[in-house]
Amino acid sequence: MAERGQEVAQRILDELARCGVKLIASLPDNWVMDVIGAAAADRRFVHVPVNREESAIGLCAGAYMGAMGSAALMGASGFMTVIYAITKINYSYEIPLLLLMTLRGAPGDHHKHHASNGLYLRPVLEAIDMPYQIIGRPDEIGMISTAYHHSRTVARPMAVLLTRGLLRGEAHP
Amino acid sequence: MKYVDCVAYLARRRSGQIVVTSAGNSAQAWWKATHDTEATFYLEASMSLSSMFAAGLALAQPQLKFWAFVGDGAFCMNPGMLMVERQMNLPNLTHFLLSNRVYGATSNAALPNLTDNDYAAIARGMGIERVFTFDSLAALESGFDAAVGANAGHTFVVLEVEPFTDAEQRLEQPPFDGPELKYRFGRHLEQRTGSDVFGYRL
Repeated sequence: MAERGQEVAQRILDELARCGVKLIASLPDNWVMDVIGAAAADRRFVHVPVNREESAIGLCAGAYMGAMGSAALMGASGFMTVIYAITKINYSYEIPLLLLMTLRGAPGDHHKHHASNGLYLRPVLEAIDMPYQIIGRPDEIGMISTAYHHSRTVARPMAVLLTRGLLRGEAHP
Repeated sequence: MKYVDCVAYLARRRSGQIVVTSAGNSAQAWWKATHDTEATFYLEASMSLSSMFAAGLALAQPQLKFWAFVGDGAFCMNPGMLMVERQMNLPNLTHFLLSNRVYGATSNAALPNLTDNDYAAIARGMGIERVFTFDSLAALESGFDAAVGANAGHTFVVLEVEPFTDAEQRLEQPPFDGPELKYRFGRHLEQRTGSDVFGYRL
């Protein structure tokens, strides 16, 4: 199963490279550790581990204004801390952002401390009118490019929510 | 030193650098000194992210030089920004910390631990090598070339300044709507670099 998770991580990175992402700014969540590890080793990307999720928002916004494609990668809990930064920077200045995060708190996540994310993650996204796409199977990974380009079309952030099954290599096909 | 005098001096010494300002006073002072409508991104109310924003720019455009202004109020919210800066170690980024020991954008409310915060020591503790502190205009004038003009690598400069007076607090804020600033700044950067920021060129 671990190998499948690494295969999924590689496919996610291939998709990010395909749509022009160069900078990946990340904070860890156990579910995305394969993606982070692969990004750090992949010379197609500049991987920047940041001190807090808001720093990823600032970095990616600056990279966009410098004509560099970027993605912020984080856990759902991290996303819940960045609402101000997103609404103040990305919404005020109409700066696109591709944000990849874990769909914590969904059925199958056995961590009780993520129950709040199960309750509030999607309602918060909807409250700030931030479009999102859930990706639960490997054959849906191409939607990452769709989300990236949609973010640029509408000049707003878009989130991609990655399920446990996908990231653990348990989803099929 | 007087905040506006310090920033006016930096404006006079600017030689093509792209600037990112922080919320409130640094934006007011830089706007007063330059009325720059193209090569400055006035990042209003980001609550500590102006240097991260500038780092993203500096990474993307390594042939340009970038100055980031951060107030110490913003710095107190996110001192870990320096860990990221140090790790990125961008030679084209200079971070000016405007230390007035207050939240200047909110009526000069006091900072936590305001008398003991040693920002230069914090920066050195995070491994940043080029750290400078200036507490007078004369010192800044005499030390500017060694600290900033040398282009010797990622640099962190602490500028000890006085809080805005009541009259200075009434200085004009940069007047832009966000999208207008985005396009002015982005088009300027496109012209200077040939890059494609927005997916279409004019």
